[in-house]
Amino acid sequence: MGVERRQGGHDSGAGREGGGARIGSRLGAWMSLAVIGFLYAVPLVWGFLVSLKTPGQASAPGLGVLPRFEGEGGDPSLFSVAYWSRFFEQAASNYRDVWTSPIADFPLYLRNSLLVAVLSVLGTLVSSSIVAYGFSRLQWRGRDAVFTLVLATMMVPQAVVIAPSYLIFRELGWIGTFAPLWAPAWFSGASSVFMLRQFFLTIPRELDEAARIDGCSHVGVFVRVILPLSRPALAAVGLFQFVASWNDFLGPLVFLNHQEQYTLQLGLANYYAQHGGTPWNLVMAFSTLVIVPVLLLFLLTRRLFVEGVATQGLKE
Amino acid sequence: MASVTRRAVIGSLAGAAALAAFWPREARSRRTIPSGRVVLRYWEKWTGPEGEAIQRVVDRFNESQDRVWVQRVPVADPMSKAMVAVGGGDPPDVLGMFSYNVAQFAEARAAMSLDEFVSRPGAIDPSIYKPAVARMLSHQGRQWAGVNTCYTLALYCNRAILASIGADPSRLPRTIEELDALAERLIDRDAQGKLTRVGFVPNLPSWWPYFWPIMFGGSLYDAAHDRATVASEECIRAYEWIGRCAARISPASAGAFANSYARSFHSPEDPFISGHAAMIVQGPWLANFIRHYSPSLDYAAVPVPLWPDVPDPDQPRGMLEADVLMIPRGCPHPEESFAFLRYMQSREIQEQLASEHCKSSPMARVSDEFMRTHANKSVAVHDAITASPRVEVLPQTRAWKPYADLLIGAFDEVWSGGDPRAIMTRVQSRAQAILDKAAVLRSRREGAPA
Amino acid sequence: MKRSPFLVALPWIMPWIIGFVAFLAAPIVMSLWYSLNDYSLLEPAAFVGLDNYKELAGDPLFWRVTRNTLLYGLVSSGLSVMLSLLIAAMLETRVRGAALVRAIVFIPTLVPAVSGAVSWLWLYNPRFGLINSALSTLGVDGPDWLGSTAWAMPSLVVMGLWVIGSSVLVYSAALQDVPRTLYESASIDGVGRLGRFRHVTLPMVSPAILFNGVMSLIWSLQLFAPPHLMTRGGPEETTYTYSMYVYNNAFIYGRMGYASALAWLQILVTLALTLIVLAVGRKFVYYRAA
Repeated sequence: MGVERRQGGHDSGAGREGGGARIGSRLGAWMSLAVIGFLYAVPLVWGFLVSLKTPGQASAPGLGVLPRFEGEGGDPSLFSVAYWSRFFEQAASNYRDVWTSPIADFPLYLRNSLLVAVLSVLGTLVSSSIVAYGFSRLQWRGRDAVFTLVLATMMVPQAVVIAPSYLIFRELGWIGTFAPLWAPAWFSGASSVFMLRQFFLTIPRELDEAARIDGCSHVGVFVRVILPLSRPALAAVGLFQFVASWNDFLGPLVFLNHQEQYTLQLGLANYYAQHGGTPWNLVMAFSTLVIVPVLLLFLLTRRLFVEGVATQGLKE
Repeated sequence: MASVTRRAVIGSLAGAAALAAFWPREARSRRTIPSGRVVLRYWEKWTGPEGEAIQRVVDRFNESQDRVWVQRVPVADPMSKAMVAVGGGDPPDVLGMFSYNVAQFAEARAAMSLDEFVSRPGAIDPSIYKPAVARMLSHQGRQWAGVNTCYTLALYCNRAILASIGADPSRLPRTIEELDALAERLIDRDAQGKLTRVGFVPNLPSWWPYFWPIMFGGSLYDAAHDRATVASEECIRAYEWIGRCAARISPASAGAFANSYARSFHSPEDPFISGHAAMIVQGPWLANFIRHYSPSLDYAAVPVPLWPDVPDPDQPRGMLEADVLMIPRGCPHPEESFAFLRYMQSREIQEQLASEHCKSSPMARVSDEFMRTHANKSVAVHDAITASPRVEVLPQTRAWKPYADLLIGAFDEVWSGGDPRAIMTRVQSRAQAILDKAAVLRSRREGAPA
Repeated sequence: MKRSPFLVALPWIMPWIIGFVAFLAAPIVMSLWYSLNDYSLLEPAAFVGLDNYKELAGDPLFWRVTRNTLLYGLVSSGLSVMLSLLIAAMLETRVRGAALVRAIVFIPTLVPAVSGAVSWLWLYNPRFGLINSALSTLGVDGPDWLGSTAWAMPSLVVMGLWVIGSSVLVYSAALQDVPRTLYESASIDGVGRLGRFRHVTLPMVSPAILFNGVMSLIWSLQLFAPPHLMTRGGPEETTYTYSMYVYNNAFIYGRMGYASALAWLQILVTLALTLIVLAVGRKFVYYRAA
């Protein structure tokens, strides 16, 4: 039993009755968590498994986890070299088909997605930290009222303003360019400003006051004091912006016209919906390749993510 | 230690991402273009074997001269992409669309009328097309599109399955009653009573929820008076029949059966090719996929059965649609686009493409060679419907797309037991409201100086 | 001469002001203007007054999508608020592996909508999907999840519940902020486990509940990608959402004027609902003195 005694943890109402009941409730908790974990993992894991199969097996009923291959001598055994060489051959061929597909230029879409995401991240970092400085380090009348407005804009979802935004970008001549996807990020995003402002407020004021006395301007304080101390917050903001840009579907759908500009999201939707249909194993392989970068990023920076999301919930 | 290496990993990943983002990379499709040519972007929805066939025609054009290079771009949903692109002032050069888009693009002035090129060499004479095809390409007296193969629907029958239940495979159904009777006999279920084969169901595939009124003598639209007419007696009779078809098998299980094949068409799992539907209403391309995936399949096609009359072999009824080529307004190279479009309007090119797609030819004159060597055994059936004076085309109005979308939901409602009269009356009044709005817009534009 | 504090701050907040005006205020104002026009994107707009709004009243599909969207929004945000609190509370028991489960629950929020849609499409496939394959080994003949009028909307709701990782994290943070002494004194007073949850945990995390509720309501009211990719609004328009109707009118039917009227109403209704939830919620929320 993996019962751990927590040091200074907090109990939200789970067993404190001691003895057998406690072990019992721990076991119950462990089992329900296992079920939850399983249910939440299945869609992606299964998608990945389908991406390894042959087209026929990907659309055949059954609960087979691993692909099966019929050779001349019948089904090779799971423990044979023949099986695993067929296995990797099939998997490699699926992923190669996606990478080199004649109807979806995967490497190009990857480049486009990265381009949009990198430009958005840079823009958000630069603009939001400047704005957050104005909302945290400077005192001016009406500041809190305006900041409430900033927070309120966070509540306006993208789908609601997509048609109106199209009209503006059309006036600007930006339809069919990447600009609608990254340029707005250079004018700060509400949630990034919020996160950075919260972080800036935790930096002791004495630090910048000392710098001011030494003759530093606001720009100097911002660049030499605030920014260097805010690396974790900046990293979290950049991370969130990267994921948001990478995952954006509606923006590219409406603002991009030509196939050579497609991002991975649009490419996947196009690939999936193509005239006549695509084999499921290839769709899943494409989908897996699209998920992997964000997943990798998450695994490497889990703490930042967790803290960042938690901060967002603390505004009031 | 761990955090240092992790930071190094993240840092190098970020660096690689930034590098890749700005690395100049040419689209794969652009690499083969010879320098010095005017490049035309041509959006086309076809992929797979159909895409390869159009590519061969495009290659032929590219080799036929040394000034223009057409680059085919596969686009899954050209309709919405084209509206957005033309509206945003950044359209491609040539658009491969469906014939029902012609009216919408024409009325919105999103496409250029081919009459604008009338002074160029090789202006198109509409008499080169079959009459119904010519009708589809024009709107309000002007031609807006070139044809790029056409199709009619026919009833494809799996003769082997028919024979296996003792039906005469040479006597295929001609009326709705015959179709119903045969469909009933062809149903097959497994030991648990689960449907494993249907004789015929009108929702497989569910791509043409507006098709059946035509076979019941009805029409969806009265062009002369700009009225939606889907609540007419003939149309309601058609939808009542659809409701009966569903009720015979049970709407839920027949619906689930059809849905499970929603993405299997044109693959080895296609319900007709895999023998799970003994009869199916499909376009001629079905023969193309049969020859790829199941060349030995014993099939034959006949005109879709009629209600209540018996078909006249010289004048079969049916629905005609075409794939079309349009030149979007504001495109970078209209002259070159027209040259390509004109090239595609030759009998020879259309026959090459139609025969690779297993379709009948849209052109008035058809070569013997084309009919003799055609891979679709039933090409004559499709050709006769296309050429028939009783063939119907879809409503030619910009309101058709929203109208058709209303019919998708209405079809489903009828399928699950809704009252066709009430449903179609509702659809008709909503469709009429959209038509009226379009009429207001049209009269304003005609009133205003061009 | 000393500049006024506002003039000092102005350059700092300028990026936000420009962004706000150009990418939010201006589009919304423009769409108000176009909602009074018949406008196909391709032809000059024609002023029609309130015609588009009048048309809305007589458009059965408008009422249909409104009903669908409100239904989805309320059910899905209600369930997600409860389920994520439950999961967060279970994660707080901190048995071995809890951190892994927390990560697994969070990951779906990072998955692009298109990838999520194709995965679930496959799971829901009536013939070979995992769900029906699993059911058939139990001898149950599973329904056509996305194709039946009864199941399509619930299927989308379930799929939405797969993406609640951020709410869970917000709850986790709130739960960890509950002072342990409160539980201890409640225990000493003889309050049972449920009582502690009701009288200690709930009030302490109520700000987080309100926050999560408002956020998930706002997001679920704009549902677009899953039905757009998975059901196209069918069957029988049961999964046709408001955002899809706006998109179709604007970019497929060429009716930008009508779409603008729809978008405007959506903005107003979303705002009104948010304010109502906030106002009602505040009555029940307990704020600790800071």
